[in-house]
Amino acid sequence: MSTPTLERTRTAIGRRFLGLSPLTWVLILGGLTVVPFVRLVTDSAPLTATTTFTAAILSTCPIALAALGGVWSERAGVVNIGLEGQMLLGTWGAAYFNWYYGPWVGLAGGIALGMVGGLLHAIATITFGVDQIVSGVAINIIASGAVEFLSRAFFSRIPTNGGPRNLTGLFTLPTVRIPGLDDALSTLNGRHWFLVSDLAGFLEAFVADISVVSLLVIVLFVLSWWLLRRTTFGLRLRSCGESPAAAESLGVDVRRYKYVGVLVSGGLAGLGGAYLSTVATSTFNVGQTNGDGYIGLAAMIFGNWNPFGALGASALFGYADSLQLRSPVSLHALLLLLAIGLAALTAWRLWQRRFRAAITNGVIGVAFLLWFLFTNSIPSDLGGMTPYLVTLLVLSVASQSLRMPAADGQPYRKGSAG
Amino acid sequence: MRRISKVAAVGLIAAVALTGCGEKHAGSSASGAPSDVCTGLKPSSPVKLAIAFDVGGRGDHSFNDSAYAGAENAVSKLGASCIEAQATQGESDAQREDRLKQLAEQGPNAIVGVGYLYSKAVNVVAPQYPKINFLVVDGYDPDKTVNKNVAYDAFQPQESSFLAGVAAALTTKSKIVGFIGAVPGATIGPFQAGYTAGVHAIAPSIKVESQYIVPSGDKGYADPADAKTIAQKMLDDGADVIFHAAGQSGAGLFEAVAAAGKGKWAIGVDSDQYTQVPADQRSHILTSALKRVDTGVFDFAQSVKQGKPQTGYVAYDLKNSGVGLSYSGGFLDKDKSRIMQYQKKIEDGQIKVPTDPSKVK
Repeated sequence: MSTPTLERTRTAIGRRFLGLSPLTWVLILGGLTVVPFVRLVTDSAPLTATTTFTAAILSTCPIALAALGGVWSERAGVVNIGLEGQMLLGTWGAAYFNWYYGPWVGLAGGIALGMVGGLLHAIATITFGVDQIVSGVAINIIASGAVEFLSRAFFSRIPTNGGPRNLTGLFTLPTVRIPGLDDALSTLNGRHWFLVSDLAGFLEAFVADISVVSLLVIVLFVLSWWLLRRTTFGLRLRSCGESPAAAESLGVDVRRYKYVGVLVSGGLAGLGGAYLSTVATSTFNVGQTNGDGYIGLAAMIFGNWNPFGALGASALFGYADSLQLRSPVSLHALLLLLAIGLAALTAWRLWQRRFRAAITNGVIGVAFLLWFLFTNSIPSDLGGMTPYLVTLLVLSVASQSLRMPAADGQPYRKGSAG
Repeated sequence: MRRISKVAAVGLIAAVALTGCGEKHAGSSASGAPSDVCTGLKPSSPVKLAIAFDVGGRGDHSFNDSAYAGAENAVSKLGASCIEAQATQGESDAQREDRLKQLAEQGPNAIVGVGYLYSKAVNVVAPQYPKINFLVVDGYDPDKTVNKNVAYDAFQPQESSFLAGVAAALTTKSKIVGFIGAVPGATIGPFQAGYTAGVHAIAPSIKVESQYIVPSGDKGYADPADAKTIAQKMLDDGADVIFHAAGQSGAGLFEAVAAAGKGKWAIGVDSDQYTQVPADQRSHILTSALKRVDTGVFDFAQSVKQGKPQTGYVAYDLKNSGVGLSYSGGFLDKDKSRIMQYQKKIEDGQIKVPTDPSKVK
């Protein structure tokens, strides 16, 4: 508190890489070494088993797509609370087009329906200047009603597989397996060697029967980062979110870029919905997103409005979620993980001489350590909350340098540049 | 912007090209939908039935559809006529009372509330319409004043789940079986308790792996993706028979089991799910633990027709076929006699099936 200048110099050390700060990279690399350590100490192999990572990819992707959608929209200066609704539309669109035209058209249908939701949001907020939160909430409500109506209208007469609220037996999308490599990695993972086996488990999840759509998601993240950060188009789009008046004075068509941002956002959210109904399962049912859109929104904020940050936050949630589903027992090991993480953070804060933050983090860390030492399992009632708790905790301590786009959420009228 | 237009053009062409190469569900266009029977009350019919559905409504492949099937039976066999009303998510008791009153004003002599959520609303509305008979499926009387014109269907799903457990134990080769529930509590608990007890009645050494999708809330009934992940984990652990009591989430279990290949089984719930799953999954549905809501609704309508309307708690158990096991597909043919032995013992009261999963080892 007493030495703000010193704080600033010390946090500003180092350059950003892939848009993430050095502190974030330290956390990521630290996690990479701490997780295998915890796995060894607590003897819980599921922590880094391939099957855990495979499930984690499935629960990460929909959230990550929603988060990436959020990044696109908010970078263009439009808050998109309607992600949840656009995802919902995507689940239905994917199911409908998958059923009648095949799996790939299904994906396109999910994207298209999501874009319809995005278009609605764009027209309301950009053309008519409606409050962005109000419009987003309205889209969520409209979407949940529309999906209910659409499935009743189109699916209830499909014999056996269909019903007014669901459609089962959709076409599956192909998966990829790299022969040879996956067996080698699987053997390595089974050896339980420190770090090596854990990394093998992680890598195997990407070469053994991974859905092509999951790989597409990774491509989309790289592509989005490149487009937003490395191209003129991206610079202009981001300028609309930072200072639309300045952008317009330089000849940028602000409204067009905002439209692009929100439409892409809706399309990505729609693809997230399509992932839920045709990749993670082959079953559509009403209300399938179960709040994933909102979690994506949170992941985007924790990811500092950066594609890779959003991916990391989504992966953290997905990992905790898959652990909670697949191996509730090893959740207990997460306590030790959190304690170690908080200890590292305390040291960092001490070095920064931010003593109050250090004490807070230290006390919480000791509490987790004691919890780990004096219990044998996490109560099952808490188990389901773990993904939310872990995400909240890790990110609330790691997210003290977040900065949203300066003009995010503000309506812009053409000609404001004067 | 020119570059964007190019990208957009390429995307569009790709999308159009993809449209051409998709597979199709042959002959699956809209057809053969059953015509609606609940079209209005006829003054001449002996039973004038009004049905208020639960959240989920008709077409849920489970509870509500089963109630509707009961109404269909009543129409075709008893000459009844009927009307219906749908519920919406997150309703208050006041809204349910309004719905019941609206139905009552149309002049029925029997009103069915589908689901325990109607218990409180019926308790308020029933005394105002003493000439109408009410039925609450899975219902309970919330206070101590007895309503003479209200019946509550009390299903005993632990008994059918016990038989499902017996079937699972006789089928498993790995000696590991699974149970997936939607949410822990009084609704799903009896399923888990009965199933576990049934498995252990055959061989206490068989391991029952039980897991709930969520600790609370109703997400667990509509999350096939999570159900699939849990099922996959159980299969990885070696389980080869998995029973679900999780509504629509069950579709995820069926997918996982079908993908795991021959010798892996799922057990359905509420209605005969063998007839509801896609054709390629049918050979994996060992059996279903039935809960005959249709029987409950039909019996109620019949009792009204005969002038002796049901009142108070009406038990539906194995003895009166209110719950039971399905044998579609013929996968249990060689074990059927042994399952029937257990059914007999439960009906005779020799076996008391537990309802609390925490008391089953």
